[in-house]
Amino acid sequence: MLQSLDKMKSKKGALEISFGWLFAIVAGIVIIFIAIYISSRLIGTQQTSISAQTGKQIGILLDPLETGFESAQTTSITIPSDTRINNICDSAGTFGKQIINLEQKSFGKWIKTDVNVGFQNKYIFSDGQIEGKKFYVFSKPFSFPFKIADLMYITSSDKRYCFSNAPNEINQEISTLNQSNLVVDNCAVNDVKICFGKENCEINVDFSSNSVEKNGTKVYFAGDDRTLMYAAIFSNKTIYECQIKRLMSRVGEISSLYASKELLINGKGCQNDIGSNLGELSGLANELNKSNELEIVKIEADMINQKNNAGVCQLW
Amino acid sequence: MVSSRGQMKIQQMIFMIVAVTLLFILVGVFFLSINLSNLKKSSVNLAEENSMLLVSKLANSPEFSCGNAFGSSRTNCIDFDKVISLKGRTEYSDFWGVAKIEIRKIYPNQGDTLCTSKNYPDCGVLKILDKNVKILPYSSNFVSLCRKETDGKIVYDKCELAMLLIASQDKTS
Repeated sequence: MLQSLDKMKSKKGALEISFGWLFAIVAGIVIIFIAIYISSRLIGTQQTSISAQTGKQIGILLDPLETGFESAQTTSITIPSDTRINNICDSAGTFGKQIINLEQKSFGKWIKTDVNVGFQNKYIFSDGQIEGKKFYVFSKPFSFPFKIADLMYITSSDKRYCFSNAPNEINQEISTLNQSNLVVDNCAVNDVKICFGKENCEINVDFSSNSVEKNGTKVYFAGDDRTLMYAAIFSNKTIYECQIKRLMSRVGEISSLYASKELLINGKGCQNDIGSNLGELSGLANELNKSNELEIVKIEADMINQKNNAGVCQLW
Repeated sequence: MVSSRGQMKIQQMIFMIVAVTLLFILVGVFFLSINLSNLKKSSVNLAEENSMLLVSKLANSPEFSCGNAFGSSRTNCIDFDKVISLKGRTEYSDFWGVAKIEIRKIYPNQGDTLCTSKNYPDCGVLKILDKNVKILPYSSNFVSLCRKETDGKIVYDKCELAMLLIASQDKTS
């Protein structure tokens, strides 16, 4: 009986924790939690800053692709970690904005950031989200009828596009580019097939209506240099329509620049008499809402081009 | 006696905890300041890289380039007749993402006379974009500055040597 009482006493003593210990444990836990919280916040901030820097760097790296007279050129961008490039187009304002938002993989998880890097003078055509480590950028100058901008088509190296039954000029252009994820004929099963005939593929190009059908939606292109055709192939409908609106706003602004130039050189004996046409082109381009209206603007642009070529002094 | 020893221990513990917390805060602030200065450095580097790459291609952009207006297509050729009307256009103030764009005639040197629609083309400096902000060093590129000229009978092309200067905004301060 006495022995069992002693045991009970000693057990009670083992459970006793002094206030000092209790205080230290509680304070220690609080400090550790604060440290973990601050570290995770810091990692998040670091990730956001890396994404912002990479986004800006991508934009800057695209600068050399905006050049003078080359017909088409290609380059590649390799990012050390798996990256998702979110292509966002904003048509608000005079020139709208090309926005790049990046998500990068960290410890197997995609880290989303709110940092949007914007450029008013860039036009990127791609799907809404492209994923990979290596990206190909192919650029082509767009004229309507004077040079408007260089359009960039970004694709991931993980996705291969196959042009089936394309006209010879397109086959040649694609082969000359030597971009490994763009192939002509000999399509593989996993390739995104682009058809120019009557086949039913993922992407169908119809030259009779100057349209591209993709994912059940149709967009229209104009121009003989196929710049907008590639834009329609590589981008989704939302991005394509928004970028067309931005491009047409730039057509409007450059038209007014040429109209001012015409006024200036008229006094020097250079009379082209296309000032009013340039005004009309500017109005039509600024009013464009959807790609199916492109043909109307194109007719005016072609007429102005003819007048410019026949004029005493060429404006462009 | 026992209770005052206990109180002493608690005071020691509190003092230690405060000291440890302060140490953590100091280390954190030190780390943050290094991080912030690196971020500022990379922001400056990116801005400088942007203006360096931009200056090499800006002359060939649609708003500046000669196109075929002076015979065959030329690279690094700026159409003076076109670019003069670009001056003061507010629509373009954020278009290139830089703070200053100017064209300075090198040969023939026409001094620092600012170009306006009134003294055009007899001027030395055309300020296309001139934001009143703190800027990073200028990046420059040699260009030919061409315009249509007349002697009263015939119209001819006149090209002069100029320098295109671009500066980005310094956002670090």
